Amino acid sequence: MLEVKNLTKIYDDGTVALRDVSFEVADGDFLIIIGLSGSGKSTLLRCINRLIEPTAGQIVWDEVDITMAEPTQLRETRRQIGMIFQQFNLVKRSTVLTNVLAGRLGYVNPWTSLLRFPAEDREMAMRVLERVGITDQAHKRADELSGGQQQRVGIARALMQEPRIILADEPVASLDPVLAHSILGDLERLNQEEGISILCSLHYLDLVQRYATRVIGLRDGQIVYRGTREDIRRMTDEEFKGIYGVEAERVGGGLEGTVGG
Amino acid sequence: MAIWQEDQHPPATSSDRGFPEGKRPGEQPPSLVSPPVAGVASLLLPGLGQAMARQIQRGLLLLCSLVTAVALLVWRINLLAPHDVGAMAIFSKALKRRPLFVIPMLVGVVALWVWTAWDAYLQAQPGQRRGGTSIFVLVIALFFVLGWQISEINPYKFVTELSDAKGPLSRVMWPWGAAVTQETETTGAGADILSPCDDEPLPPLPEEIPGQPYVMADPTCGDLSTQDENLQPVPGTALTVIGRGFAPNTETQIWWVDPIGNDFRVRQAGEYFTTQTDDQGAFQIEVTMPYRNIPTSSVGRMIHRVEARQVAGVGAWRLSDVLLHNVEKMVETIVLGMMATIFGIILAVPISFLAARNLMAGSPVTMALYYLTRTILNIIRSIEPLIWAIVAIVVVGLGPFAGIIALTVHSIAALGKLYSEAIESIDPGPIEAIQATGATQLQTIMYAVVPQMIPPFVSFSIYRWDINVRMSTVIGLVGGGGIGFLLVQYIRLLDYRSAGIAVWFIAVTVAILDYVSADIRQRFV
Repeated sequence: MLEVKNLTKIYDDGTVALRDVSFEVADGDFLIIIGLSGSGKSTLLRCINRLIEPTAGQIVWDEVDITMAEPTQLRETRRQIGMIFQQFNLVKRSTVLTNVLAGRLGYVNPWTSLLRFPAEDREMAMRVLERVGITDQAHKRADELSGGQQQRVGIARALMQEPRIILADEPVASLDPVLAHSILGDLERLNQEEGISILCSLHYLDLVQRYATRVIGLRDGQIVYRGTREDIRRMTDEEFKGIYGVEAERVGGGLEGTVGG
Repeated sequence: MAIWQEDQHPPATSSDRGFPEGKRPGEQPPSLVSPPVAGVASLLLPGLGQAMARQIQRGLLLLCSLVTAVALLVWRINLLAPHDVGAMAIFSKALKRRPLFVIPMLVGVVALWVWTAWDAYLQAQPGQRRGGTSIFVLVIALFFVLGWQISEINPYKFVTELSDAKGPLSRVMWPWGAAVTQETETTGAGADILSPCDDEPLPPLPEEIPGQPYVMADPTCGDLSTQDENLQPVPGTALTVIGRGFAPNTETQIWWVDPIGNDFRVRQAGEYFTTQTDDQGAFQIEVTMPYRNIPTSSVGRMIHRVEARQVAGVGAWRLSDVLLHNVEKMVETIVLGMMATIFGIILAVPISFLAARNLMAGSPVTMALYYLTRTILNIIRSIEPLIWAIVAIVVVGLGPFAGIIALTVHSIAALGKLYSEAIESIDPGPIEAIQATGATQLQTIMYAVVPQMIPPFVSFSIYRWDINVRMSTVIGLVGGGGIGFLLVQYIRLLDYRSAGIAVWFIAVTVAILDYVSADIRQRFV
């Protein structure tokens, strides 16, 4: 259970990225955040594992306030929170296997891991790669893989953390529509089969209604919309413009009937 | 599928793309004066008309071109007539000596002047500007002619004198005769020659001993070659030299021994004079008595000696000292480059962090340090390693250590810049991702930063090693150790074969290194 309470982030240059944001992610939720670029989606996700330091507010994970955590405690919390990225953020020149093993860094001895990983972690990495279907690529350099395969490496790295929640920052924005479905399908399977909560930011509304259990809409750092999958399907033009601004137009008219398209 | 498209801007309409009235590109505010006035103004002072037509830059450029061209022309004309006095005398002498330079330049300068006036006339026209850039083609042509004169370009000389260089060049191209050596044994005989002839008795003919080489000359007195008062050569007496009892069918060198015992090989038409003995070991040749190379103050009767010598190799062939020296110095060169590279890397790594903007952007103090480091690196890098070598020699004296210091200093500056740029171009994404896994700071550096830095670091370091070995071949020219030191000595001694060996060693080493470094770098990038 992740609770975000009154989260505010003001950058050094005065930009208010998040203003008094509160929501919660129940165990097993597939919660999708929508909103324009610059609305604060990335900042929000990064505040949760404190890649970005929040200015005010609380993030409570299992009754513990992450914003107050000491470095050691923070690292222990972080390893339970997997994260995948729009640009995959793999170390391009390292092998796929090394990239996946990096997901284990929060568990292994910080000193010996500088040289090599324990054998059981290497076996685990191969198992995880098998789960995402790219075992044969294990010894290739990460940048030799296609975009979809790279994102699978990203998921594999997150899985190595044995996470209870995965933060996904626009995980399919760099991929074509078919791959987008396939990657989100992977996440959905993890969500349903392993009970891993997913907190994901997305651009494509049809993907949102296909995969989300709950949705929040961000605009200018504030939550302007809360709903379920059904609510998205019934979203009015007013609600849409509330999220995306008055100049926005809904491409392709209504969204009903395009589910899964 | 419905895709939300961000950053949708309304398409620009055609009316938006137009320019506001009166502000079309290329249209400037109108001229201050009428075209004829501008033309006349530029005729009086080139560029003035353009300035009046609000084309100040164009006017200044034309004025400067014209003034510079005239100044350079006057200077070169003066140089062409160094001994003449008075403008007309100087000019006519210069015209006589270099008509192909002086006439086109004069025509060109006048043409440029007139064209500048015409250009001012065009610039002052109302509306769209006329007169393009073709006037500057003339300016460039003028400076080309001047440049040709000033830099003493002479293709004719290059072609005609190329044949003279054939000898040295062929020795450089194929120097391997000097790579091996053998003990030699010289046999020979000589005959005394009196110079100049006088009434006293001539030197006696040498006695012929059967089985021994024997040389006699006829006549046994004569005059040495000399120069007359107009510095024209006056050949010396031609001697008929007859030799017997030498080894048959063998090359025989002709030597001259002057009265104080110095001997030198006689040259004819620039080449060493040799002859070939016949089947009986005899020869007969004409030898012109050479120039004197004893002090002119020594006068009077002197006995010179003409000798014929045969050099025979005895014993086994072995590698020559020249070759061994070259090998030795080549090893020194490679080691020099290697040591300079290692020192350069060790010192450049910490400095590169100071010169990386993304690491130093934190506070004004670190930013100041960043700018200071960058400036120092730029200054050091802009000074050639050869100059650094000269500085280092002043400190530590001649030798490879001076070369190492010079190359190290330059490597630090060059690598510091390259490394810091590698650090600046690091992708922050993986750092973020590794931090998100709960990794410690050290683990993040090890798994997200180091893998990104190693390839460019290795690549730049090997490239630098490549450069340093190449540089260390020339750093010897100024005394910084290595094979260049040897090369420049051989060249000064006109020992083109030994120099050729050095050149070959350098070429082969650099080629191998080039290939190897390119190969290694390819694996890492």
